[in-house]
Amino acid sequence: MEVYSGKQQSKMTTEAIVARRYKRWISALIISMIIGGAAIGYRVIEGLSVTNLSSFVPWGAWVALYIFFVGLSAGAFLLSTLIFVFGMEQYEKVGRYALFTALICMVVALTFILLDLGRMDRAFNAMTYWNVLSVLSWEVRFYLIYMVLLSVELWFAMRTDLIRMAKTTGGLKGKLADILRLGSEDLSERSEKKDHRWMKILGMIGIPIAIIGVHGGTGTLFAAVAAQPYWNSPLFPVIFVVSALVSGTALLIAMYAVQRKAANKSVDLQLIKGLTMLMIFFLVIDLGLEFYEFLVAGLSMKPEKIEILSVMFTSSMSWSFWGIQIFLGAVVPIFLVFNRRTRDSVKWLTAASVLVVIGIIGVRFNIVVPTQVVQSMSPLPHAEYAPNWVEWFSALGVVSMGLLLYSIGVKLLPLETTNEEVSSYE
Amino acid sequence: MGKTHDLIIDQSRWNGEEILKSSKYDTALGLNMAEDARKLADGHISEEAFVAKYQESVEKEFQQTLAVQANETDHSGVRWGMVIDLRKCVGCETCTVSCKAENRTPPGVSYNQVFVKEEGTFPNTSRTNIARPCMHCDKPPCASVCPVRATYKADNGIVIQDADRCIGCRYCMVACPYGARTFDFGESYDEMTGYEQVQAPEHGMDRGKREDGKAPVGTVRKCNFCFHRLERGEEPACVETCIGDARYFGDLNDPDSTVSQLAASDRAFRLKESAGTQPRVYYLR
Repeated sequence: MEVYSGKQQSKMTTEAIVARRYKRWISALIISMIIGGAAIGYRVIEGLSVTNLSSFVPWGAWVALYIFFVGLSAGAFLLSTLIFVFGMEQYEKVGRYALFTALICMVVALTFILLDLGRMDRAFNAMTYWNVLSVLSWEVRFYLIYMVLLSVELWFAMRTDLIRMAKTTGGLKGKLADILRLGSEDLSERSEKKDHRWMKILGMIGIPIAIIGVHGGTGTLFAAVAAQPYWNSPLFPVIFVVSALVSGTALLIAMYAVQRKAANKSVDLQLIKGLTMLMIFFLVIDLGLEFYEFLVAGLSMKPEKIEILSVMFTSSMSWSFWGIQIFLGAVVPIFLVFNRRTRDSVKWLTAASVLVVIGIIGVRFNIVVPTQVVQSMSPLPHAEYAPNWVEWFSALGVVSMGLLLYSIGVKLLPLETTNEEVSSYE
Repeated sequence: MGKTHDLIIDQSRWNGEEILKSSKYDTALGLNMAEDARKLADGHISEEAFVAKYQESVEKEFQQTLAVQANETDHSGVRWGMVIDLRKCVGCETCTVSCKAENRTPPGVSYNQVFVKEEGTFPNTSRTNIARPCMHCDKPPCASVCPVRATYKADNGIVIQDADRCIGCRYCMVACPYGARTFDFGESYDEMTGYEQVQAPEHGMDRGKREDGKAPVGTVRKCNFCFHRLERGEEPACVETCIGDARYFGDLNDPDSTVSQLAASDRAFRLKESAGTQPRVYYLR
């Protein structure tokens, strides 16, 4: 009798611990959103003059973070297509998380770019007016189509679980599921097959949209600028897509592992190992492409290209390249994944993924900033730019908003694949 | 002051009626036409109305046909261009200053700049002052990247910036190979009295005071060849004030214009010609 109650109690405490963790996590997010919100409010009232941006370096941290999050989204989505389109069932546990992460990352990316507009009140102009020659004009539309596609695919992925939840679960969760199921009631095997078919079709449409439209397009946005010799290379959009795959995979590993640990659930080591190998595979391709990008730029001996490379590799901001992009973002993770002592540890592999994500933030900064430091009119001296506290705190606020949306979504939506046997994505 | 001035003018002015009486033509017609011509100049009556009113009597009196003439300040078919003579430029930055004064640009916004380029090693060195307004490219990269078509090429050759449509994404600034665009961060010369009283009528549009809702704060700004001055038949401020007379301005469509002839000389070149932007600002080396 006593033993029984003891067990009961320990089970209760585990749940209580998880609930307390969640509460703490949410309050931490809300606090950082308030801090970030103050910075954002300051920026909205005072305009962009409170940032470190200037007419010499017009694009800064927010643009870098915008392409970073677009990359995360595209990468996460492409990973989901490995499951839903190409039938790699071993990764299925992260499938819905991947779609949901992709959606949230797009929201974060668009918030960053909204914050970066000189006239936020005219943001809708980007939809009203259209310039066929402007890659940015196309991107705005691709982002929206992509977000709709993500939502629809996620809905098909969750449909049967939503119906079950609406019937069995009470409270807010059940009510939300009841609204989100959009009147769908069919739980038959045939309808489930249909769902999978739709997900496959949407995934297939999504692949070119994500690669060419969303992230390759974002790369083209930079590559098409002839005035910036460092960006103006056809390899650039390809590097964008590959580094998106790197960061998207890394983010999903980290999200999956952290979230399972926080909920005191078991972490599938084989899944993590498989995904980290995939991540390292993408990372190596990415490094190879970048190597050739720099090699060809350097060997072409064009003074304007050499100047930008020297800013990246040797100036006072080169720590971002050597320290973040190369050491933390590539060397350390590759070591961790292949080292005998660390390669079987969920903790170390998660750390490797987190480092890869941080490394890609460095990649995005190194894309946006150094090339603008070198002025296009050659007699002008180099400009200086480093994000100031307004930019950092606003970024903290926007990222916290994304994490909060994600945490709430994980709590309320059936993102976890419940019945293990549903795995026939043909 | 005004009254004294008017008085001097009145005294020195010839009496129109007396002068007209000395001619063999009808005095009353001359006086009436002069009066209506003033009205026409002030825009109170149209040229068509003026012609309709006097066509018959002019025919009778002078045996000449009075017809509606093309307006002299009608710039249709004109494609503006500029020539800057680097040998005449002394690097005094008068163009920069007069541009700031004319366009009343706020701190950090400058449509014109002068770069000093030093080449060679001592004692064989050269110093070139390169004044840089907007190049008003015929293939403007800024216009092709603008997501909302806020900046575009006008028929008169000017690359226009629509401050009321621009969303402030600054893509054009990144894409301009000449660094000719600046962002209005909303700062003002508030240490100066009356700094916000009036804004330049860029692109010929009155913008009123520099205050919320009227100022192009949060948008990208650029040189517009002083379009408001061109409409009045004046040259851009930088051209008019240049102390070395290094700048020439005119119609590059007209093969006989000074700018066309100078642009065709073997001294002429354009900045970053390899970029393929086809600037409308030529330099003479």
